[in-house]
Amino acid sequence: MPDFFTSIGTLLEGSFLQSGALWALSTIPGFPPIIQTVHILGIAVVMGSVVLLDLRILGLAVPSQKISEMTSRLMPWLWWALASNLISGAFFLFGRPLRYFNNPIFGWKLSFLIPAVLLALFFQLMNKREEGYWESSSKRLWSARAIALLSLFLWIMVAMAGRWIAYAEYIYYPA
Amino acid sequence: MEFLNSPKWIDVENWPISWEIGGTIWFPFLESIHVIAAAFVVGSILMVDLRLIGFAAVKYSISTLSKELVPWTWAAFVVATVTGLGMFITRAASHVVNPAFQWKMVLLALAGVNMAYFHFRVYKNIAQWDNAAPTPTHLKVIGSLSLFLWSGVMLAGRWVGHII
Repeated sequence: MPDFFTSIGTLLEGSFLQSGALWALSTIPGFPPIIQTVHILGIAVVMGSVVLLDLRILGLAVPSQKISEMTSRLMPWLWWALASNLISGAFFLFGRPLRYFNNPIFGWKLSFLIPAVLLALFFQLMNKREEGYWESSSKRLWSARAIALLSLFLWIMVAMAGRWIAYAEYIYYPA
Repeated sequence: MEFLNSPKWIDVENWPISWEIGGTIWFPFLESIHVIAAAFVVGSILMVDLRLIGFAAVKYSISTLSKELVPWTWAAFVVATVTGLGMFITRAASHVVNPAFQWKMVLLALAGVNMAYFHFRVYKNIAQWDNAAPTPTHLKVIGSLSLFLWSGVMLAGRWVGHII
């Protein structure tokens, strides 16, 4: 793990953010599974927005919906879901910062998440600048397909890595 | 509910495949696929449910949305069921008496009843409301119930791991 990354963990360890998160997680009845469910529901919205759009661009789903119309309608849902997941995830991150900032799988998760977010942002911005941008020529449509394929892979890997944070030892210390 | 305490569930846990999954990297692998599939179940039905409520995608007819999205929901559901069964057999005896697991099964059944009611009873009169926006009250109820029940399935499912 990069040094600055682990130092974020050390910085958070013992801070008021940690005590606040631990207080919420241990005092409010059922808080951990409830917040985890909110986090998974956020992933469900990611699936129902950007992943569905990717499948549409690849010609696999919802053929009656137009790419440009879908993009402007669904992308706000993605950003709200990610904002919600940032908050729900923060409880666990702040609660046990070293578990995450020392965990290579968490590093993997971020290295899938950041390009996934940038790709989605880029896709949305081009569509906003020019309605139907991605459908206006076959060259652009093929670029859209390449982006969709990459985006699909990245979002699946974000969710996958998220779940594997708890199983880092299976990969790094195999039996 | 005598069958829940049957020693047969222990036999299930002792199947060679149960040991193979429970003691290896197979478990987290199945679990992560399960989460992704479950998220896709909810993500794909979300647009249909929100359309039934009249909150989103109102420019599309209900029949088109449901025709194009529900098959994806089913496909993801099959993946979630297979991976879920794979995890279930590793601790069958504890799962069947786990209140979170029991709630999950009840909520899953109710979500199924809600869906069946929509497709076999309500859907007959589709011509009356296929393009409606706002939608009639009974559709709003079905859509809201679906979202509520699926979220409940998720919550109970996630809670299973906190009890066992």
